Amino acid sequence: MNAQLQRALRSPALAFVGLALVWELCVHAFAPSPRYLPALSAIAQDAWSVWPQLMRGFGRTLLETVLGFAMGAVFGCLCGTVFTYSRWMERSVFPLFVVSQTVPVVAFGALIVIWFGNSLLAKVMTAFFLTFFPVTVNTLRGLKSCDPQRMALMKSFGANRFTMFFKLAVPSALPQVMVGLRVAIGLSLIGSVVGEWFGETVGLGVMLMEAMNADLVVRLWVVMFACGLMGALLYGLLTFVERRLVWWRSES
Amino acid sequence: MKFMPHEVMPPAGAQAPGTAPPMLELVNVWKRFGEAQAQTVAVSGVNLRIAKSEFVTLVGPSGCGKSTLFNMIAGLLPPDDDGSLLFGGAPQRDGQLLGKVSFMPQRDLLFPWRTVLDNAILALEVEGTPRKEARERARAMLPEFGLAGFANHYPHQLSGGMRQRVALMRTFLFERDLMLLDEPFGALDALTRTRMQHWLLELWARHRRTVLFITHDIDEAILLGDKVLVMTARPGTVKSETVIDLPRPRDPSVVLTPEFIGLKQRLLAEIEEESQKTFAQEGTAS
Amino acid sequence: MVAQRKLTASPVVPVVLGVAVLLVVWQGAIWLFKIPPFVLPSLGAIVQHAFTDTGRLMAALLATLGEAIGGYALGSVLGLLLAVVLLLAPPLERIVMPLAVAVNAVPTVAYAPLFLIWFGLGAASKIALVALAVGFTMLVNALHGLKQADQAAVNLMRSFGAGQMKIVWRLRLPVAMPSVVTALRIGVPRSMIVAIVGEMLGAYAGLGRMIYESTQQVDLLSVWSAVLVASVASMVFYGLLVWIDQKLVWWR
Repeated sequence: MNAQLQRALRSPALAFVGLALVWELCVHAFAPSPRYLPALSAIAQDAWSVWPQLMRGFGRTLLETVLGFAMGAVFGCLCGTVFTYSRWMERSVFPLFVVSQTVPVVAFGALIVIWFGNSLLAKVMTAFFLTFFPVTVNTLRGLKSCDPQRMALMKSFGANRFTMFFKLAVPSALPQVMVGLRVAIGLSLIGSVVGEWFGETVGLGVMLMEAMNADLVVRLWVVMFACGLMGALLYGLLTFVERRLVWWRSES
Repeated sequence: MKFMPHEVMPPAGAQAPGTAPPMLELVNVWKRFGEAQAQTVAVSGVNLRIAKSEFVTLVGPSGCGKSTLFNMIAGLLPPDDDGSLLFGGAPQRDGQLLGKVSFMPQRDLLFPWRTVLDNAILALEVEGTPRKEARERARAMLPEFGLAGFANHYPHQLSGGMRQRVALMRTFLFERDLMLLDEPFGALDALTRTRMQHWLLELWARHRRTVLFITHDIDEAILLGDKVLVMTARPGTVKSETVIDLPRPRDPSVVLTPEFIGLKQRLLAEIEEESQKTFAQEGTAS
Repeated sequence: MVAQRKLTASPVVPVVLGVAVLLVVWQGAIWLFKIPPFVLPSLGAIVQHAFTDTGRLMAALLATLGEAIGGYALGSVLGLLLAVVLLLAPPLERIVMPLAVAVNAVPTVAYAPLFLIWFGLGAASKIALVALAVGFTMLVNALHGLKQADQAAVNLMRSFGAGQMKIVWRLRLPVAMPSVVTALRIGVPRSMIVAIVGEMLGAYAGLGRMIYESTQQVDLLSVWSAVLVASVASMVFYGLLVWIDQKLVWWR
């Protein structure tokens, strides 16, 4: 019983609950302006008042994020693989990738709408744009860090290049690829939210904009919490997948 | 199981007619690295012959090119044009030896994402044996390697000695006539090493494959081998070939017999000479 | 001398190559698909416009740079300090890290409206936003790096009678350098982008504000010029940081 209690006391959940209580108490005690720090209860109330819209927005942004992430991940892995095995492709195209990331995607949000219309695809493309690069870089790094001694060993068995790729290169690259995926999913969420600023009707990014324009401060907090929840959900999912599939440590 | 045909051709070197060609023959094998001024000669003019079912040990100071030699025999590095490698009497072109020799490098190089069983069957998988069959064969061998019950463990759960045994099992399952073992017991503590040596001898007595074994431990070289080859300091060549005519099976206590000690004295003197040269080289190295 | 030349050559060449390929692809696409200038102006036109508008662009760039660099420095320092503090006080780490992760689960852009309310429309809000984005990355990486020190080495120093702070200074920080530098590298492009995003939502000056205004006025050439300037500035700083990296962490 004692050990269980100790473990419960250490869990992060308790830290959150504790913080929530502290928040409520402070607000009620010091009564700061709600513009600066609204009470947690006020935030909850506001969330409840717009629940249907919030749910729809959550779902929509989630869809954009996941689609953009999926596209970026697949494209990134493919590019990373191609760049590993084709020197001239890496030399010519990879710098282009690097340069693309210095361009603030938000800057041509308007252009993206012109190119892809005010549609789901436009937001997905914004998310994709931020996702493919970290996945490419990490896939490249993962594949290149393949242990040359293990490669020599497989060669001594008479393995051909395909066998070496699937049985050795891919598994040894996976931990690094996961690192890239984790960075990518956070960026994908940012991409969706920002993409929604440029012409959308449903979504958390939209609600953020609306709240800002209408000066609804408490609503801002509601949307922030919703975004945070989505972020936590996505990271958690990825961590779960990682634990199951890629649990070994890379040897370097 | 793959059948490895031996290409029987007129042997390259002087060979009495009617005798089978040696399992492995190196003729004037050289290996140089780098260009012109900065060139280093790792292996120079190595000539050796290994007959079938022989257990040959190779000793030498560090940096004498033992591992380079092994890489060439495994087919990973081509020898320089001056010399040739003959396998079963047939000269081997660049890369032809890949997959013909069972090679165990110094590090166990187990794959951390594979279980003990799956690591053991790695070479078999590459060869094309279906997984199910390969796993069955490996499972049957586990007790012999002292790994019974560990089939589904992962490398990080095993001790160093056990990991070496998995690597050795992988090498054994890859049924080739020639086995190359590069200091397989080097990283183990003395007690484990003694056990592993004893166990390797038993294994070899049962299966009688041809073994080429590198070590820097003279005791190990004499204890295990039919023949001990001493390599010189860099550039490495074969300094001497000593036949070990101690009776088999060899008890661990053989190391205390006068014959053993006599052999050891001789070999020790030779190796000391080469070690001194290595130290001198390192002293003057740029 | 030879080593120095090799150092400066390596980060620049791929970028130059990338830009060259970009130029070719850009102009080629316009010519091939007959893209009208309101969708994608030619690079020549953009550069020309940039030159005529230099004064305004430089002023905007300076404002944005100030925010980006200020936030970058602030965030990096705070992140590193916090990492050291958390390292020395494990119970604190157990409380703070889950909170930090939760805070970071919210996309940075979602904080922008709130920060605008808290810190006003001036530079302070952007600096805070950049500091948040950079600081968290630094915290995670620095903590990871500080923990890399071999326990055996730590024990050795303790046997010499070294106190905690000395161990941190002499052992853990040098070991943490590669991770810290990685965080510094990731931070550079991020700070520009975050500053620009913040400005787009509300600012008195800066490239982001310029982009926003130009979008409203449908002055696409100005939008692209601002994007171009932002991109080039980002690349220059990234190159600078890579160069510093190679000098600081030369022993790698």
